[in-house]
Amino acid sequence: MNDLNIIYILEKNSKLDLNYDIDKNTIIYNYSVNTSLNININLVCEGVFVKYYCNVINYDNNIHHVIVKHLVSNTCSYIYCHGVNVDNNSLLFYIDGVIPKGSNKSTNYQDSQIINIKFGKSKIYPNLLIDEFDTSSSHSAYIGKLKDEYMFYLNSVGINNKDAKHLLLYAFLNNTDSIDNDKIDFFLEEIDRI
Amino acid sequence: MLELKKINAKVKDSDKQILNNLSLKINDGQIHAIMGPNGTGKTTIANVIMNHYNYELISGNILFDNKNINNLSTDERARLGIFLCNQAPTEIEGVSNSEFLRTALSSKTGRKVNLYTFIKDMEENMKSLGLDSSMMHRSLNVGFSGGEKKKNEILQLKILKPKFIILDELDSGLDVDSLKIVCRNINEYKNENSNCSILIITHHPKILEYIKPDVVHILDNGMIVKSGDLSLAYKIEEEGYKNE
Repeated sequence: MNDLNIIYILEKNSKLDLNYDIDKNTIIYNYSVNTSLNININLVCEGVFVKYYCNVINYDNNIHHVIVKHLVSNTCSYIYCHGVNVDNNSLLFYIDGVIPKGSNKSTNYQDSQIINIKFGKSKIYPNLLIDEFDTSSSHSAYIGKLKDEYMFYLNSVGINNKDAKHLLLYAFLNNTDSIDNDKIDFFLEEIDRI
Repeated sequence: MLELKKINAKVKDSDKQILNNLSLKINDGQIHAIMGPNGTGKTTIANVIMNHYNYELISGNILFDNKNINNLSTDERARLGIFLCNQAPTEIEGVSNSEFLRTALSSKTGRKVNLYTFIKDMEENMKSLGLDSSMMHRSLNVGFSGGEKKKNEILQLKILKPKFIILDELDSGLDVDSLKIVCRNINEYKNENSNCSILIITHHPKILEYIKPDVVHILDNGMIVKSGDLSLAYKIEEEGYKNE
């Protein structure tokens, strides 16, 4: 675990372009509020993985564009993007997984979800650009409201809508179990305001 | 305790009526069982009582402790003391079992829950149900076996202490040993809370050997077509529903 590189992206009301060359196992935590972001992640060393946990609270029109390039063989990327679109604006996720010829035995996994609280226009574009046979890739995408099934289950033990929504959003927007909550105080407070 | 008066109900956004003029009265401390073949509306009764989002009450009245609860939301009904033990408990990733129950208990009592007392209470009840205490910190029902999910429902019941319990197909997904443990816990709860009433919804009479009902009803086409004592359940076991 000593070789694990941890990167935090903690942003509010900004526009960012970020580039990372990943030469050792890396976890990137992105907790952003109302931010547009282009992030290029290049896997440049054989045998390494990157996990990207992206949690976004959105109020205006914003785009998150994630490009993961597997530039050498036997590399893995796990891209988890969760967004909550609070108002009636647009939140767009472009998630590109690129495995060029020669980067065999590489894995690209994407899971993208956006919850619209009101009538926001959200879109997810999961792209897998694969030019190599011996690879493994998958993606899933969900856009919608908080699931009725979840709300009912919480309501059915007496939890009111406000508290149920808070529990679900907190779980959705903090989708990792190893984060130090002190680092993301501003984000947790923002969840309380949704 | 709970009275259903001439209930007509259907699936929302559909013309299909499921409950037809159904009436049922369960007094304080009574245990009633509703039996019937698949598709007769047994689970719909539970869902209508809890104001499930997929069902619509067309007409009729639901009374709880002599108060009409037709217009109450699901959480308001639960806070009155109605508890639904779900046939298929929902899995929610990221919401821990303890967080879920602590929020529910706090909602019910209207007070902040003392963490030490709560954890101690959870641990005792989990032990009694044969659940590992580590499950307290796991995501709600995620990765639980069928039996663990049902036991987790009973854990909620024991922590939240409801007045009226609906057991919807409690025996589905439970092996014989787990069914005995779950029923023993329900009976213990009932003995400690003699005024508590229970509605058991089931296909099979097996569960009624462990939790003895005062009244057994047979449901067909959304209506109660026959009521009797436990012997009615045994008759169904021998002869099936077709002769009723």
